[in-house]
Amino acid sequence: MHGRLEMLGILIRIALQNLFASKLKTLIVGGIICFGALLVVLGSAMTDTIGQGIKGSVIHSLAGHLQVYSDRSKDELALYGGMTGDVDLTPMEDFSKVKQAIAAVPNVKAVVPMGIGEAFAGSGNALDRALESLRAVVKRQLAGETGEAIDREYQARKNFVRRMVGLFEKELGGAIAQAVEPTAADRQSFEDLKRSASDEFWAEFEKDKLAGLEFLENKVAPQALEGDMLFVRYVGTDPQAYQQAFDRFEIAEGQMIPPGKRGILLGKVYYDQWLKMKTAFRLDRIHDGLAVGRTIAKDEELKRFVKENTQQVRDIVTQLDELGEKEMVGRIQKELGSQETELGKLLVQLFQTDDGNFERRYQFFYEQLAPMLRLYSVQVGETITIKAFTKSGYVKSVNVKVWGICQYRGMEKSQFSGMMSVMDLMSFRDLYGYMSAENLAEIDKLKQAAGARQVDRENAEADLFGGGGEVVAEAKAQGFDENALLDKAARRTDQSEKTYTREELEKGVALNSAIVLEDPSKAEETRAAIEAVIAKEKLGLKVVDWQKASGMVGQFVNMLTLVLFTAVLIIFAVALVIINNSMVMATLQRIKEIGTLRAIGAQRRFVLGMIGVETLAVGLLFGALGSALGSGLVKLIAMRGIPATSDEMYFIFSGPALRPYLSGTNLVIAFAIVLVVSVLSAFYPAVIATRITPLEAMSSEE
Amino acid sequence: MSAIVAVRNVTKDYKLGSVTVPALRGVDLDVPKGEFLSIAGPSGSGKTTLLNLIGCVDTPTSGTVMLDGQSSKELSERQLTDLRLHKLGFIFQSFNLVNVLTVFQNVEFPLLLQRTHTAQERKKRVSELLEQVGLGTYLQHRPNELSGGQRQRVAVARALVTRPQIVLADEPTANLDSVTGSNILDLMKDMNRKFGTTFIFSTHDAKVMSYASILVKLADGLIVSNGKAEAKPNGATAPVAEAR
Repeated sequence: MHGRLEMLGILIRIALQNLFASKLKTLIVGGIICFGALLVVLGSAMTDTIGQGIKGSVIHSLAGHLQVYSDRSKDELALYGGMTGDVDLTPMEDFSKVKQAIAAVPNVKAVVPMGIGEAFAGSGNALDRALESLRAVVKRQLAGETGEAIDREYQARKNFVRRMVGLFEKELGGAIAQAVEPTAADRQSFEDLKRSASDEFWAEFEKDKLAGLEFLENKVAPQALEGDMLFVRYVGTDPQAYQQAFDRFEIAEGQMIPPGKRGILLGKVYYDQWLKMKTAFRLDRIHDGLAVGRTIAKDEELKRFVKENTQQVRDIVTQLDELGEKEMVGRIQKELGSQETELGKLLVQLFQTDDGNFERRYQFFYEQLAPMLRLYSVQVGETITIKAFTKSGYVKSVNVKVWGICQYRGMEKSQFSGMMSVMDLMSFRDLYGYMSAENLAEIDKLKQAAGARQVDRENAEADLFGGGGEVVAEAKAQGFDENALLDKAARRTDQSEKTYTREELEKGVALNSAIVLEDPSKAEETRAAIEAVIAKEKLGLKVVDWQKASGMVGQFVNMLTLVLFTAVLIIFAVALVIINNSMVMATLQRIKEIGTLRAIGAQRRFVLGMIGVETLAVGLLFGALGSALGSGLVKLIAMRGIPATSDEMYFIFSGPALRPYLSGTNLVIAFAIVLVVSVLSAFYPAVIATRITPLEAMSSEE
Repeated sequence: MSAIVAVRNVTKDYKLGSVTVPALRGVDLDVPKGEFLSIAGPSGSGKTTLLNLIGCVDTPTSGTVMLDGQSSKELSERQLTDLRLHKLGFIFQSFNLVNVLTVFQNVEFPLLLQRTHTAQERKKRVSELLEQVGLGTYLQHRPNELSGGQRQRVAVARALVTRPQIVLADEPTANLDSVTGSNILDLMKDMNRKFGTTFIFSTHDAKVMSYASILVKLADGLIVSNGKAEAKPNGATAPVAEAR
C-alpha cells in the first residue's frame, strides 16, 4: 500500500502551505503560543528554583523529610513559627521510645530530637569588655609589673573607658532629663553616671583603682546592658545526631559542640545579620549587590547603605582606645593619601564609596581595619546568657557557650536555614521549663519542706498574716535548708562543665523530631510505615511532611506555584479563545476548499487530520520557539541573576540573587500545556470542518 | 451500450424554513457508457440537483440512483466518498482548485487519496495529463497565477487523473468567456473520446448544449426531453490554446 506516509506528506504540505498562505493568522496564533510557552518555561523555572531553594533549605537544615510530634498538641507544628509566634506543642515525654520505634522502620536514616524556641540572649556590653581589659592591666600593675609599655597600655585603656563613660553620660543623661517623670532610681543612676564622667572620679581612680573599677562595673556598666540584648531562635537537639542527619551542616567557624556538652552554635546568617557590626554588614551587602550587577549609582538601597556607613562611624571609633585609634588613623591616611588626623572624618571619607572604588576599600576594610575591631558582638568561645519564658510563664536563664558558627553547604545565604541556631538539648529543656515527673516530685518535696501551701486568693490575707504565731513558728522550726538549695543552685552552674551521656539526652523531653530518609522518593510509603508503627506502639504521634511542618514557609511555596499557575491559566484561557476564534474564521473561509476536497474523495478523517496537523504544526513550531526563547531567557537571567533588592527578596531567593535553572520537567510541562491548548482550541473548528459536506463545493458563488 | 448511470423515479425536496420546495419531481434517466451528456434547462429547473444526486454528493428524497449497478442509497457516507474517489471525477463551475497547492499537486491529490500509486506512477500520469491539457510547462505554478481557462484545464486534468468512469461538470463554462469555454468543451470532448469516459455536464447555454451527444432538458424538476443531439457544429479537433 502506498501512501500512509505520502498521505501524511500531503497533509503536512497542505497544512504548512495553508499556514504560509495566511501569514497574519499564523503569526497571531503562533505569537500567542510562543509567548505562552515562554511564560510557562520562565515562570516554572523561577518558581521551581525558588521552591527547590526553599525546599532544600528546609529539608536539609531543620525539617528533614518528615517530622513527628505529639498528636495531643494544641497547635500544628510550624518549624519557622506560626501566625502568632511560637506554636504550642505537647512534649514527647520520652524521646528514646520514639526513636527506637521509628528508627527501625525501613528507609529511615535518622531520627533527631528537637525543640524549637525563641529567647533573648545577652552578652556583656562594650563597656563591660572595656572594663575587663582595663582590670587585666590593673591586675598586672598590682602584681608589680612596671615600665613604659604597661604604663602606656594602662593609660590607653583607662582613657578608652573614660571616653565611653563620657558618651554614655551624654546619651543616657539626655534621655533621663527628657523623661517626664524620672523615678528616684533613674535619678540615682544618672548621679552615678555623672560622677563616673567627672574629673574628680578619675582623679580618685588613680588612688584606688580597684574601688573605681568596682564602681564602674556595678553602678555604671549595667545601665548600658539593654543595648546588647539579642533575639535568638534556636533548635534544641542532640548536636551529634543533628550533624549526622543533616549532611550539609558544617561549622563555619569555631568547633562543634563536643558530645554531651552544653552549648550553642549560632546560625551564620543570623550571626552576620544581627551580631555583626552594622558597618561591616552593610559593606557585605553592598559587595553582594555589586556582584549581581547592582550599582551604587543607581540602586537606592545600596546608596542608602553607603550613606548609613558614613553616618555611623562612631560604632568603630568607640571600639578603639588611643593606641588603636592612632594605628587606624595611620592606616587609613596611607590608603586614602589623606592628611586628615581625626579618625571619624577619615572613616567618613573611607566609606564615601562609589562603584569605582568600593571593591578596593572593601578589601582594605577587611584586611587592614577589621583585625583591629570587634566585628561581632558575640565572639566564638564566649558565653551568652539566654533568657526565655518557660511554658508556665517564668523567666528561665541559661548560660551557654558559643562553640561556633554553623551553616549549610550550598545554602550559605539562605535565611531559612541560616537564621536558626543549634543548641544542646539539655539547655533547651531548661529553657523550655519542662518539669519531668521526677522534677515535680522534687519540687513538691521542697515545698513541703519549706512549709509552703496553696492558699486561695480570698483567704490569702488571713492565711498568710492572720493566723496564730504557731504557723510561723512551725515554719521556722521546720525551716528550709538554704544550704541545700544553694547547693542545688551551685550544681546548676556546674552543669556547663558536665558531660551528658547519650542516654540522658535521649531519655527525656523533645517537642518534635526530624526524620531523615535514605530515599526521599519513597517518602509516602515510609510515612505510612511510620504511622503504622506509631499506631501499633501507641506512641500518640502525628507525622507530617516537610512542607506541612514548615508552616507558612511551606505554604508560601504552594502559594507561589498557585500564583504562577493562575497566571498561566488565564493567559492560556485567553489564548484558547483567540486561537479558537481565528481557527474558526480560517475554517469558515475554507468551506469551499474543504467541500471540494470532500467531493473529490477525501474522507472526513482527512479533513480532521488537516486541521489537526495545521494546529500541531503551529503549536509545535511556536511552542518550541517559545520554549527555546524561554530557556535562553532563563539562562540569561541565571547568568546575570535577579538581584534581591530588599530583605524580603533576599529571603525568598535564599540569597543575594535568584539564578533560575531549567529542568527537563519544566520544558516537558511547557510543551504539554502548549499542545493541550492547541488541540483544545482546534477542537471546535475541527468539528465545523468535518461537518462541511461536498455540496458546499457545488455552490456557484465565489 | 449499457447504462452506467440509472436514475429511477427520483424526487428531491429541499426545505426552506417550513416550506418544502421540490427540486426534482420524479426523474428517470439512463446514461449509457461513454456518452457526452448535457443536462440543460433554465435556472431552478433542477439540473444541479440531478447532477449532485448522480455525483453522490447528495441523496434523493425518494427513488434510486444507480451508479455502475450500485444504488447510492445503500452506501454509507464513507463508502460514497470512496465511490466518488474511484469512479467519479468533478469539474466545478468556479474551478475549485486548492490555492495553496501547485498545479501538479492539485492534479496529483486524488491519486494520493487513492493510495495505490507509487510516486513515480503519479508523477508520470500527472505530467502526461497536464501535457495533454496544454499545461505541460505550468506544473509548478499556483492556481492564482493562471487564467480562468487554464484553471479549468487543471480542473479537467484533476477530474480525469484517477481515470474515472464518469466525469460530472456543473456549468463548466459559466465562468469563462465563450472562446475559452469552447476550448474547454473541446478538451472535454477530446478526453471523452480518448479515454471513453462518460461526461455529464449541466448548462443553460445553447452553444454548450450543441457539444452533447445526448441532450436532456429539464424544466421544473421534470425531464421534458431526452434524445440524441445533433452533430457538433464546431470542429472538435481545434487545438487547445488560448490567450491568458
